[in-house]
Amino acid sequence: MSYCVNCGVELDGSLKKCPLCNTPVINPCELQKLTEQNAPYPKEKGQVDVVKRKDLAILTTVVLSATALCCLLLNIFVFSGSPWSLFIIGACLILFVLIFPLVIYTKLPVYLSLAFDGAAIGFYLYMITFNTKSDRWFLQLALPITALATILVEIFALLLRTFRVSFITTALYFFVEIALLCVGIELLIDHYREAPLHLMWSAIVLTICGVIAVALLTILSKRRLREAVQRRLHF
Amino acid sequence: MNKLISGKKNAGASGTEKKIWYKLDLSAIVYPTLQRRDFSSVYRLSVLLKEPVNPEILQQAVDAALVRFPTYKTSIRKGLFWRYLEPNHRPGPFVQKDVRNFCMPMPFKANNRYLLRVYYYGCRISLEAHHSLGDGSGGMYVLQTITAVYLRLLGHTVSNGFFVKDIEETPDPEELEDAYMRYANAKVCPKRPGEKTYRVRGTKEPFYTFNVIDGILSVSEVMAVAKKYNATITEYLNAVLLYALLKKQQNDWHLRLRPVKIAMPVNLRRFFPSKTLRNFITMVYPVVDPRLGDYSFPEIVAQVHNYMRYYINEKFLKGDITTNANTQRNPFIRVVPLFVKDFVVRLFYTRVQDKNSSAGLTNMGAVKVPEDMKPHIERFDIYMGQPFSSRTNCAIISFEDILTVNFASSIMESDVERYFFRKLVADGIHVTVESNRT
Repeated sequence: MSYCVNCGVELDGSLKKCPLCNTPVINPCELQKLTEQNAPYPKEKGQVDVVKRKDLAILTTVVLSATALCCLLLNIFVFSGSPWSLFIIGACLILFVLIFPLVIYTKLPVYLSLAFDGAAIGFYLYMITFNTKSDRWFLQLALPITALATILVEIFALLLRTFRVSFITTALYFFVEIALLCVGIELLIDHYREAPLHLMWSAIVLTICGVIAVALLTILSKRRLREAVQRRLHF
Repeated sequence: MNKLISGKKNAGASGTEKKIWYKLDLSAIVYPTLQRRDFSSVYRLSVLLKEPVNPEILQQAVDAALVRFPTYKTSIRKGLFWRYLEPNHRPGPFVQKDVRNFCMPMPFKANNRYLLRVYYYGCRISLEAHHSLGDGSGGMYVLQTITAVYLRLLGHTVSNGFFVKDIEETPDPEELEDAYMRYANAKVCPKRPGEKTYRVRGTKEPFYTFNVIDGILSVSEVMAVAKKYNATITEYLNAVLLYALLKKQQNDWHLRLRPVKIAMPVNLRRFFPSKTLRNFITMVYPVVDPRLGDYSFPEIVAQVHNYMRYYINEKFLKGDITTNANTQRNPFIRVVPLFVKDFVVRLFYTRVQDKNSSAGLTNMGAVKVPEDMKPHIERFDIYMGQPFSSRTNCAIISFEDILTVNFASSIMESDVERYFFRKLVADGIHVTVESNRT
């Protein structure tokens, strides 16, 4: 039988410290007597039940495949003027890839599922080239922009998962990445138009994002300032 | 065997026409709406026996006893406008070894769709139930009946009565009713003032951690101290919790002081006769406003005492039920699809209802058991379950001379609990503390 020296409450024999104030029980004789059987609660932790979403996965896969297949058959045998069914097949593929980590394989690493999402969008854009005169727009514009956006999203996920996440750091990563994306898009557009590489509108975005990023970095580097912002902006 | 576990010499006929489904009662409508991946409205009732529990026999007892409680052997389903309970004939619920982080979220499609869990650990049998099935009193009937059947299977004689139902008997239709609707007939619907109150802020524990601190007290000691303040045990413990919350607010960093309010469920069966085993509770909110000045402890007790006397009576409670029922009776609300209702209720709960109280406190009162069951029972425990937001919930129950105060929270800090128990110790009450914190 031990009492907490701070709280004055009697502590159950299984407790090594007072649960109210964390003061350790310093009574060597009593500590030696501790056995698992005496503990009022078990040591094992339980796991929350996981609901299997197999039915939803099957339903989604069947609906998407049926839609894609029906459109393909209609395109081949009935409305065969242009390969329009590729739009729908591509959309079904994108939906499948997006839903895949949510309902079918939930343990898929986030980076891999993001890469798949980027690849699916790229593939869809490639399918559109079959309905356009040339595929130059795809090779020089659509594909590089999709790749750039995917890489930036991957980096964003990596930063959020590697470093301590707070409202301010998330905002910092977001604004830096927006600036990079805009610069990338403008340079790619210039390259596509075969114009000299010049920053115009993206320079404005870059400046604004730069100012915001510097302000956020200052807040992050000063603890007092950081705490004040977190206090005022918590939600 | 039937005769052995029923505890009745002339077992009656049990074959009755089974109802196919049950509407959710007025309170139960809200609980499934708040369901999240990391939150369910689950409460736990435990009984600590004097001998270690045999899981095989406990399973037999659960199987035999649950048939008597048709609204508890159900699963929850979605309709277009409302959810409903449907009898569940799947195998289970199966008794399982207890865990440290109990009152875990209860996904509706897991556990063979049962909204009940039965655990055993050492000498303890625990029943966890989703609040949409019923309130603590309803759950106590289930737990005590299971315990009685278990003890009978071990060869003890336990008679029916108090919370022990005769498992051979056909359930009384009144046990399955939504009692709110019978009594929601006041001519006016009093408005409920909603005000932002003090919220306990704390460091969230990782998913899924459940911190419990139990205080074991003597009923006679607490009663003597409460009498000194001219209060009942509930009023006194309510005042101690308000005192602890006031102290926590004072010592924490704050821009401005806010009123400290406790959400306390009142068992309506005390005022409106009903045998229902489903929810039949309403909330009252004893409050102390520190913006009016510093309250001494006797002043807090007086405030709680007067509040309780003023609000907890048949007339006020009837008004409160009518306000709730009128929302459900409104034809315009009834035809709104369920997903819209869910969205609105969840929004209202998180924005208004959850911010309307600083902590929860429930007092189950003195639990009565049949005379021949008493020698087998050490004590009862009750846990309000995981709080919706980062705060502490407190639940009180007593059996014979043992009064148990069970705090449950999902935050690391235990300041409220510390101030609470230190105040009891300062008032001369002997407190023994148990916890699952390591």
